[in-house]
Amino acid sequence: MSEEKKEIAQDIHTSEEDKNRRDFMKDMGAAALAGAAALLTNSDDAEATSTWAEFFQKNYRLMTEEEKKDAILRLEQRYSEEYGKTVTVDGAPPMKDVLFGYALNIQKCIGCRRCVYACVKENNQSRNNPEIQWIRVIRMEKGNFSTENMDKGYPAGEGDQTYTNKDYGIQVGGNAYINAGVTLEGQHYYQPEQVPEKDAFYFPIQCMQCEKPPCVKVCPVRTTYREPDGIVVIDYNWCIGCRMCISACPYWARRFNWGDPNLPAQEMNPKTHYLGNRPRMRGVAEKCTFCLQRTRQGRYTACVEVCPVGARKFGNLLDPGSEVRKILDRKRVFRLKADLNTYPKFFYFID
Amino acid sequence: MTLLIKFAIDSIVYILKGSVKFYAWLALLGFLSLIYFFGLYQQLVHGLIFTNFNDQVSWGLYESNFIFLVGVAAAAVTVVFPAYVYHHKQLKSIVVLGEMVAITAVTMVILFILLHLGRADRLWHIIPGIGIFNFPNSMLTWDVLVLNVYLGLNVICAFYYLYKKYTHQPLNDKFYLPVVYISIVWALSIHTVTAFLINTMPARPMWFHSMMPIKFISTAFASGPALIIIAFLIIKRTTALKIEDEAIELLAQIATWCLGIALFLAMSEIVTELYPSTEHSFSLKYLLFGKHGLSKLVPWIWSSFTLNIVAFLLLLNPNFRKNHNKLLIACVMIFVGVWIEKGMGLVVPAYIPTPIGEFSEYTPSLFEIMNAIGAWALGLMMFTILAKGAIGVLLGEISYDSEAVKKSDCDKEPLVCHSFCPGHPSSTGKEK
Amino acid sequence: MKNANLTKISIGAVGCLLLVGLISYKLGYSQNPEPPKPKEQQNEQPVTDCFESREGYTSVTRVENAVPQYGYPNVKCSQTTGGVLWWGNPYDGTIPMGEMPAINDAARGDYATEEAVVKPREPQLKYFNLSPDQHCAFCHNGKIVPFPKDKKPRLLAAHQDIVENSLQLMHGRGAFWCLDCHSATNRNKLIDHQGNEISFNQPQRLCGKCHGGVYIDWRMGIHGKRIGSWIKGGKKRWWVCTECHNPHTVQINRFNPIKPEPAPALPRGTQNAVPEAAHGNVSHKESFSTPPANPSTGH
Repeated sequence: MSEEKKEIAQDIHTSEEDKNRRDFMKDMGAAALAGAAALLTNSDDAEATSTWAEFFQKNYRLMTEEEKKDAILRLEQRYSEEYGKTVTVDGAPPMKDVLFGYALNIQKCIGCRRCVYACVKENNQSRNNPEIQWIRVIRMEKGNFSTENMDKGYPAGEGDQTYTNKDYGIQVGGNAYINAGVTLEGQHYYQPEQVPEKDAFYFPIQCMQCEKPPCVKVCPVRTTYREPDGIVVIDYNWCIGCRMCISACPYWARRFNWGDPNLPAQEMNPKTHYLGNRPRMRGVAEKCTFCLQRTRQGRYTACVEVCPVGARKFGNLLDPGSEVRKILDRKRVFRLKADLNTYPKFFYFID
Repeated sequence: MTLLIKFAIDSIVYILKGSVKFYAWLALLGFLSLIYFFGLYQQLVHGLIFTNFNDQVSWGLYESNFIFLVGVAAAAVTVVFPAYVYHHKQLKSIVVLGEMVAITAVTMVILFILLHLGRADRLWHIIPGIGIFNFPNSMLTWDVLVLNVYLGLNVICAFYYLYKKYTHQPLNDKFYLPVVYISIVWALSIHTVTAFLINTMPARPMWFHSMMPIKFISTAFASGPALIIIAFLIIKRTTALKIEDEAIELLAQIATWCLGIALFLAMSEIVTELYPSTEHSFSLKYLLFGKHGLSKLVPWIWSSFTLNIVAFLLLLNPNFRKNHNKLLIACVMIFVGVWIEKGMGLVVPAYIPTPIGEFSEYTPSLFEIMNAIGAWALGLMMFTILAKGAIGVLLGEISYDSEAVKKSDCDKEPLVCHSFCPGHPSSTGKEK
Repeated sequence: MKNANLTKISIGAVGCLLLVGLISYKLGYSQNPEPPKPKEQQNEQPVTDCFESREGYTSVTRVENAVPQYGYPNVKCSQTTGGVLWWGNPYDGTIPMGEMPAINDAARGDYATEEAVVKPREPQLKYFNLSPDQHCAFCHNGKIVPFPKDKKPRLLAAHQDIVENSLQLMHGRGAFWCLDCHSATNRNKLIDHQGNEISFNQPQRLCGKCHGGVYIDWRMGIHGKRIGSWIKGGKKRWWVCTECHNPHTVQINRFNPIKPEPAPALPRGTQNAVPEAAHGNVSHKESFSTPPANPSTGH
């Protein structure tokens, strides 16, 4: 406890902090003297005006084409300055007659986590404190049953001399409580020398782009919404950070920027989309968008491309000739937590 | 209008007059509440990085207090309901204090929501008209609606009543009583909707059961009256206001039986979950017994159960209830017991494990604890001020000079100043 | 009158809220006037020697600014494993896949119009490139190494690094031997059942002869890997069979194990990941408090 205290104290009382406090006092003084209006007009520099404009901008979906263009231009200027390279912010609308779908072959997945890091490289997540990753790979047990456990269990079985009512049998077998197969009771932090391991299989989870997304329903300000191409997007500039969506998601797909994202300039991917991988700010939710900055221009998602075993498949659900539709036609597929009627467009399959 | 301004000035002047003790108390609370503003400022500038929230456990101390305080706010109805529906005389004379508790609690709810938000600076996004209010889809918008209306109703009830008392005018029952009755029903709605806010998410199996609203209301009607009794006992000892024993006795009975119901509901939930013991009971198992070697919440929940059960058993004895020193102890036990039950027993464990099965524990950071203390201090300060003003009016110490009234406003508003007897509001009712 | 007051008050309240929001937003923004300059990773050089799917077998070298429009390198690789994590240019170093026999079944995916490219396998083969122009035929020219007279399995004098014991070749569990797939007279080529020569760049034409189901899945895009454009008919780089599978050891591992990328950071406030290891088998044994029937004496 005392260590924790120290840590926090250190966190708060850095020299940077003192500087901020001075800034705060200065700004507060100005505000008190002249009010916010004066603060607005007094600041000539473009950065300040773009900040105000960003603060007052509407929800992206409700913007006119002109306003969208302005918002994008503002962001491009700000990001280019911040990261020291030419950053493009795309506003590409959904493609016509396209509904994105995803299929993942759990028989093939080897749990190498390359998708996790491909996603991070593509989508400009915060690298540390907070570390944000949109994909989580879970290691699951194949199951390990033993004859040794057969006569054990509850009530204690024949092997136990003290047990007198053994004639009535065991109600819970000794091989109960052994995980086997898809149980969602796996390991998230596995780190063996090599994968795949003999006694395990792997189960990646990310945003399922549900057709009936619970996260969208609970959002009080409609900052997260479903696009016509089926992608559930977030207007990061409209999010108030209430985290209802994070609680409501049954797939634990959403992440939160607990602090200012930490994205080194040289690692920043300059090709961004307004609703996709543009750098986020603190205090907003984010999640997988099926790389819409790529997929709306015809390119596969980063995780599909990186998967060394080709377990990840992506395409247009409205096109019977697409890879995903062929998998739905020919393979046995399932949706995770189908009982919740969220209707994911992310399918798991086996050969 | 001038009367209103006079009312405000008189009240402020009265509130500002006080003993050294009073000032010391306010100074302490004022100092503590500065922590809240400093914390809020830190969060606006740095985000929630100083908290111990994470993607696994994304709600914690702030949200626990939010849910608990909604209950306290709703529990003001335990004073208003007997007073106006059963015409409980002793409660009716102090009903405005109950409303002050409600006003304070809702304000504190807002304080905690400001701490909870990742982007409090964008709060205007939720205001209909200039922002987007996702009503009726989002349960949170329902909560915003019911809480704000409830705050408004209580402000109207309380200040209308005090104002009339101040000016020695009779209450306009055609206006006042409907507002009171609406606020009684509305009190139930705020805690119901807050329960719906969290129990409509099947992603969190521990919350996903239909017993949540009634459990919320029963725990609230135990902890709320407990808090109000504590407040009344303190007021009784520190001010000249007379609070009848019957009023406290009725509140104690309400607290006792609602606590009994709450314990029964808790037992029902535990049996329903643990008998079949499905995957959905992991959170509850973790809470009650710990799981996979993680057991930080276990001592909390059992201490909460112990406090509540012992308080319930003690309060069953009428002699115990009637001894106000002993009653105070039991009320503190209920208050603490329910507070733990709402926080460590309800909000946090629902996040453990995550929907995809990861177990990780949460302990609030010092930063969070300081902010929560600050918010409570701010709330206590607000209640102190509101209660002092209200007591001043009830005692007749804040009162409009009737001669002056006659000169200025007699033509506009008929007065019954002389027949008005301070301290007995029941005398205002015409039809009784 | 009263309504007007109420409106005024509510407008005032909204205004105050906006003002507070604005000020805090401004403060929050001015918090980070400096761009987040690269910090700890400054001295960390990017990995340049990378592998794609098969470690130690399909390599690629990182080239900076391969896509000048965005300043992308051709690939970005893992600092911990050297695996390619991200393609700046998905068609980097590819050639047209060449002719593919028509399936004539649209339902099974006849990608007649697909613009398919592959990364040639030949430059990846160690022995093939010992001689830049004659390749394997530098030795296997009938003189230095005489052509075998028949396909009867025999012990090899060389290439044990590829197949340890040629008499126990795993592929087909004894049903196959080297010359069922490698041309006896032109070692630069593979050979199918009818004696047609097949380039090392097109192993699918050989493998598909037996592995028909997998081949059809591969043609449809269900099996195997493609990068580039997801659009039907768009340009795709296809991974061919031997980019993932080693035909000589495929019975041991269909896909050779590789080192995984690092585990995610533990949640804030968590010290270790021990609890999750208790999932499943371990916790169950504790849940029945029966002592072990026979206290182990052996170990």
